[in-house]
Amino acid sequence: MLANRISRRSFLQRSAWAFGSLSVVPSGVLAAESRPGANGRLVVAHVGVGGMGMTHLANMLRFQQEGKARVAAVCDADDNRLGAAVENAGAGVMPYRDYRYILERKDIDAVLIATPDHWHAVQTVHACQCGKHVYVEKPASVTVREGQAMVAAARANQVAVQVGAQARTAKGGWYTCRAIRNGIVGKVRRVTCWHYANPVDDKPVPDSPPPEGLDWDLWLGPLPWRPHNRRYQPANFRWLLESGGGQIRDRGAHQFSTILWCMNADQQTSFTVEAQGRPPVKGLWDCPVEMSVVYQFKDPDWTLEWGQPGDKVGQTEFGNVFWGEQGRLVLEWEGGYRPANPEAIHFQLPPGGQEVYRTDEYEDFNMNHKADWFKSIREGHLRPAVDIEIGHRTATLCNLGNLAYILGRRLVWDGEKQEVVGDPEANRFLSRPQRYPYVL
Amino acid sequence: MNVNATPNAPGSVEELIKRIKNPNDAAGGPAWQGAAACGAEAIQPLAELLLEPDMEVARSAKRALYCLTRHAGRPGADAEARAVEAALLPLLAHEKSAVSREVLWMLSEIGSDRAVAPMAALLANEQVREDARCALLRLPGERPTAALRAAFRTAPEDFKYALADSLRQRGLEVEGYPSRKLVPSRQTTVTPIAPKPK
Repeated sequence: MLANRISRRSFLQRSAWAFGSLSVVPSGVLAAESRPGANGRLVVAHVGVGGMGMTHLANMLRFQQEGKARVAAVCDADDNRLGAAVENAGAGVMPYRDYRYILERKDIDAVLIATPDHWHAVQTVHACQCGKHVYVEKPASVTVREGQAMVAAARANQVAVQVGAQARTAKGGWYTCRAIRNGIVGKVRRVTCWHYANPVDDKPVPDSPPPEGLDWDLWLGPLPWRPHNRRYQPANFRWLLESGGGQIRDRGAHQFSTILWCMNADQQTSFTVEAQGRPPVKGLWDCPVEMSVVYQFKDPDWTLEWGQPGDKVGQTEFGNVFWGEQGRLVLEWEGGYRPANPEAIHFQLPPGGQEVYRTDEYEDFNMNHKADWFKSIREGHLRPAVDIEIGHRTATLCNLGNLAYILGRRLVWDGEKQEVVGDPEANRFLSRPQRYPYVL
Repeated sequence: MNVNATPNAPGSVEELIKRIKNPNDAAGGPAWQGAAACGAEAIQPLAELLLEPDMEVARSAKRALYCLTRHAGRPGADAEARAVEAALLPLLAHEKSAVSREVLWMLSEIGSDRAVAPMAALLANEQVREDARCALLRLPGERPTAALRAAFRTAPEDFKYALADSLRQRGLEVEGYPSRKLVPSRQTTVTPIAPKPK
């Protein structure tokens, strides 16, 4: 693989534009291994151009204006969305329905994946295997085995995979992390999250043909085939356990990432988890309306509690509280869109205190997170702030929270072996075989 | 969800079915959560409801079946799991693929060696063969691998690629039938915007 990539990056192609066939100079030409070209400009493609995908596209167009990136292609299973993305992206950007055309293009260095969750792992692994750097939306995966495959693919192919949980490169998260790690509230033994409920599909509709322009089979991808229903998509995939996993896998992926960072607990991979919830009384969506999940970590001992709604301590829709021996610190949202608590912002590092990594190129935290990804590529270390291994561990918390709810029992998770202790049935849920050819 | 703590569990299968059919959401909606208490006996009558024209009843029956299966799969309840498996197996031969497809996935969660042959028989059914392949991949042990290998020998050419992938996932070497996972196939109707002439 290494040899292939060196070969690709030192291969000069003629530059030409033609509809349906692009042949351009790869940005990696004349560049060192794992680095963008001499001009530092990454050639990128967007896979999934719905809500968050359009934010990514807007970010990349700004990087393009600044000469740091070039948007080469956009892709979506829905031609309606794809058409809108092409309009936004402008001339010279190639539209595709099938992301694998993008992976075939040697001139593209990196992809940004913002498809529904059930696609994240497959597309990330495939992109890595084709030598592309990846920015993938959170949650990284929908099963533990998918997450493991993503980590393995990133390492084997020496590419940078950044997961889109932006708080670790956002100021709110940084101020909070720095303050907590340096004892603003003393030793923290408990962290609680509050979040509003999952919605109920209170206007269910029968199955129907997919709307014109949507490739339903491709939208389903790795999932078992079933007829189209308007309550699956576009954004509603979030409210089904198999494809979206509800708030705990959506916002939880943000909040848990920040909390693990603040608690310096990325290496604390073993825990127990218990969950309870109230399922909806009707409709297609099956995520529990309310939910409470408790994770217990050992050595050091602390508890993480997901509450939906939980005990709302702050002012906004969701957030978390660090309960320390000397008080508490609240973080609204997860450190991205909202500023940190003023106490954290004004916290003075004590003598001998521990500084925390910070990327500080952009005020906009979405831009900053991508700048951090670029930096990891540019510098060649390939370990962005939310490297896929961190994203996988965070997603494991989310996925096992849901699994404990689905199975209705306490699970003991061995993070070293990545298996549930003494529960063969639960271990079968660590993977979900995928529909061919949409396989890892 | 904690099925053990489900309040107001039904006293019988008949009561469970009656509750699930209740058109009042407040009563019928949560009824499936009590299914675990009814055990394997409830499987056949619940499966009949999977084809109910009322989508809420069908959905609720499906959730009840999964609830029951998952509860039976808990550690230390092997006899319950085997009873549920035994009740699910005849449903694999159901004339409606919508039923056999769901049953395959239920068996993927708790199925033992005993389930392998009837599940593998569906690898020859074009409607559900992909679900059967996936469900077998979830079963541990040698027998599912042997069943997939046997199916590979006789499968139609277009299905052999998927089976070859399964066998490779199980650590076997397969000659030919290279992976198609990276082969693009879908075309968009959207066209790019042409650059402005200079």
